[in-house]
Amino acid sequence: MWRYAAKRVLLAFPVLLGVSGVVFVAIRLIPGDPAQIMAGQAATEEVVRQIRQSLGLDQPVPVQYLYFLRNVLRGDLGRSLFNGVPVVEELGQRFPRTVRLAVASMAVASLIGIPAGILAATRRLTWVDTLVMLVALVGVSMPVFWLGLNFILVFSVRLQWLPAFGYGTWRHLVLPSVTLGAASAAVVARMTRSAMLEVLGQDYIRTARAKGLAERVVVHRHALRNALIPVVTILGLQLGTLLSGAVLTETVFAWPGIGRLLVEAVLARDYPVIQGTTLLIATTFVALNLTVDLLYALLDPRIRYE
Amino acid sequence: MRTVLLALVAVAVALAAGLPAASGPATPAPQPGGTLVIGRGVDSVTLSPYASASPDAEVIAHVAETLYRLTPEGRIEPLLADRLPEVSSDGRSMTIRLRRGIRFHDGTPLDAAAVKWNFDFILNPDNRAPFRAILLGQVTSVDVVDAYTVRLNLSRPFVPLLAHLTHDFLAIHSPTAVQRAGGMRPPTGEPYGRAPVGTGPFRFREWVRGDRIVLERNPDYWGPRKPLLDQVVWRAIPDDGARVLALEGGQVHVAVRIPPRETTRLALNRALRIDRTSSVRTIYIAFNNQKPPFTDARVRQAFNYAVNKRAIVQTVLGGAARVSDAPISPGIVGYSPIQPGGWPYDVERAKQLLAEAGHGSGLNVTLLHPTGRYVQDAAVAAAVQAQLRAVGIHARLQTMEWAAYLAFTNQPVDRTPVEMFMLGWGTVTGDADYGLFSLFHSSQWAPAGFNRFFYRNPQVDQLLEEARSIPDPARRAATYKQAMELIWRDAPWLFLHSESQVTGLRREVQGLVVHPTERILAHTAWLAR
Repeated sequence: MWRYAAKRVLLAFPVLLGVSGVVFVAIRLIPGDPAQIMAGQAATEEVVRQIRQSLGLDQPVPVQYLYFLRNVLRGDLGRSLFNGVPVVEELGQRFPRTVRLAVASMAVASLIGIPAGILAATRRLTWVDTLVMLVALVGVSMPVFWLGLNFILVFSVRLQWLPAFGYGTWRHLVLPSVTLGAASAAVVARMTRSAMLEVLGQDYIRTARAKGLAERVVVHRHALRNALIPVVTILGLQLGTLLSGAVLTETVFAWPGIGRLLVEAVLARDYPVIQGTTLLIATTFVALNLTVDLLYALLDPRIRYE
Repeated sequence: MRTVLLALVAVAVALAAGLPAASGPATPAPQPGGTLVIGRGVDSVTLSPYASASPDAEVIAHVAETLYRLTPEGRIEPLLADRLPEVSSDGRSMTIRLRRGIRFHDGTPLDAAAVKWNFDFILNPDNRAPFRAILLGQVTSVDVVDAYTVRLNLSRPFVPLLAHLTHDFLAIHSPTAVQRAGGMRPPTGEPYGRAPVGTGPFRFREWVRGDRIVLERNPDYWGPRKPLLDQVVWRAIPDDGARVLALEGGQVHVAVRIPPRETTRLALNRALRIDRTSSVRTIYIAFNNQKPPFTDARVRQAFNYAVNKRAIVQTVLGGAARVSDAPISPGIVGYSPIQPGGWPYDVERAKQLLAEAGHGSGLNVTLLHPTGRYVQDAAVAAAVQAQLRAVGIHARLQTMEWAAYLAFTNQPVDRTPVEMFMLGWGTVTGDADYGLFSLFHSSQWAPAGFNRFFYRNPQVDQLLEEARSIPDPARRAATYKQAMELIWRDAPWLFLHSESQVTGLRREVQGLVVHPTERILAHTAWLAR
């Protein structure tokens, strides 16, 4: 298993190299000049040229890329073209906020999604099942900005229970994490339901029932553990998505995480910030995938990594 | 609305007189204390002389002060200077006397040496201050005459300089604080630009990027009107809907850029009021004046006749704009109305002019416009398109994301494919020179300058050059009027409107100034309890 993990870690490097290379070239292919944006609409050509020069943007792209790689290896992701703040510092401040939001949303998604899925599966084709799946369908389809604004309207404006925006205390975390967690909860519920249904139809479950076990024990001890494997995969992927910054949720709740940072950086053609953020997101995804794969072994003793 | 204006005027008048403000007739006496929270769509980029936009300027204006200030009515008054400057008879030097006894927030004195240090920093080309050429292009050096007097030396007479000295990007920062912070590096004045130190009524306290900027009252403020608020906080709330809800829920006291569709609903909320202060930002659709059919003035004029700007302002913008009656807007030194009420809407005249120009059978053009940059920009473009159809002009709309848009419309005349494009221009210096020379002088053709529509009229060029060195305000205004009349007749633009700043305020907010240069000023603000 350790060998497997080491191999996977080594394999991550070409992936990250590929991602950074594609991003590096792609952002330089789209029109729009960061020097022009930085200098402001009214700047003269002379000023723009000076800025471009001072940022090294007048160099050929492959040369710029090699410089970038060299600096990355030194732990230096450069400075934002836009506000001059070191990218490492900016990410260091913002990523923990995104992690906080993502983890809270995951908690919401799991705490609602998994029990709801089990409930629907064990009450299959009853009104409970229909209701849960209907709510899940609504949850998946609802745009987060709409849901978020409605939460703000009810809980901040009308009831005045929770702050409408910003980050800070746990109270700031409630509305964005429920908003963001709602869609994930719906996905998790649907996934848990179908996985449970599949497992509940297996021979060993019939055996368990035949030997007179309580339905609660059958469901929780025998069925759930096996049904969780695809659910864990989904949770891992969902967490990856959440960690790469929930742009809309972060925008609606003015949550200063990396999702908003990335969007603002793209609009401003802030190359170092785009590169640094995408590299961080890619690394997060790779790490999460690996974690999920290793978790399988814990959940299912039949899975062995050689 | 009227009472808001009255209150603002009252405060401004009281300020100008240096007296304690007598607020509107029905309002109680100012109460000290409290924290004012302002919600806006974006965060600042830097709070140093490397700033380049109004979200930076409005924060700087509370911390660091300029030598002169521009009142909301467009008058220039001394601020750190103790009187208007003396200009030498040849117009090539300007002597400025400073007020005595003012200290920066770090305790160091504001004197001629500090002022010279600030100007020298911006004038040094190695420092690459973005607004050097625009604001101080004619200044060659700065002398210390005595401890409280400085002299700016000019390469040639340049009257707009006085207005430029009111600009927040030329605010005076503490040289000691800059050095102590580790200096200012281009392009954004790092690291000093994170925590500015000036002489203003509020001191910098905290900046959490992407989230909030916090200033606190300067108890030792030198001015006659002491600040009342304990703190002023700017919060970045990018989503329009969320910002409006934060205002309704009371989490912010002020929300800027209220979407026009929300104003009717908010007006019914008794806890709020809506302020519509006009802005110095003019929105226009430029023609490529060197590309047929727009080389023909009759065609350009026909477009102007074909579009009903009043209807656009009333319906698309919900009244939050003012139809242009000149290439620049009121509140700018040198403005005068050229065609009161704006270019007339006359479909028949438009058709006739098109026929005379040989386009009676119709015309196909491409109209470029940004989306989400200006108030309802895409909707305005669609309205223009619909109205042009009535005179046989088929405009194809094309939009681009802002960064790409800026680059695309900035190509040289021999390469640009652009026919018509929508843009805005904020005359942030408060002087007509910046609103006219930068746009209409033929030396400013893109990409060197901002004449991206390649307009050239030698008479206009000459008038705009002359006006720069006419010290007498009345004569100078007359010269600008003459130039603007020529521009208006040539119609290098489809003249549209100047935007209003639609700001939502909670009732308890008093004495706040929404400045035409797109800054919210809380110097004299207080919260009624």
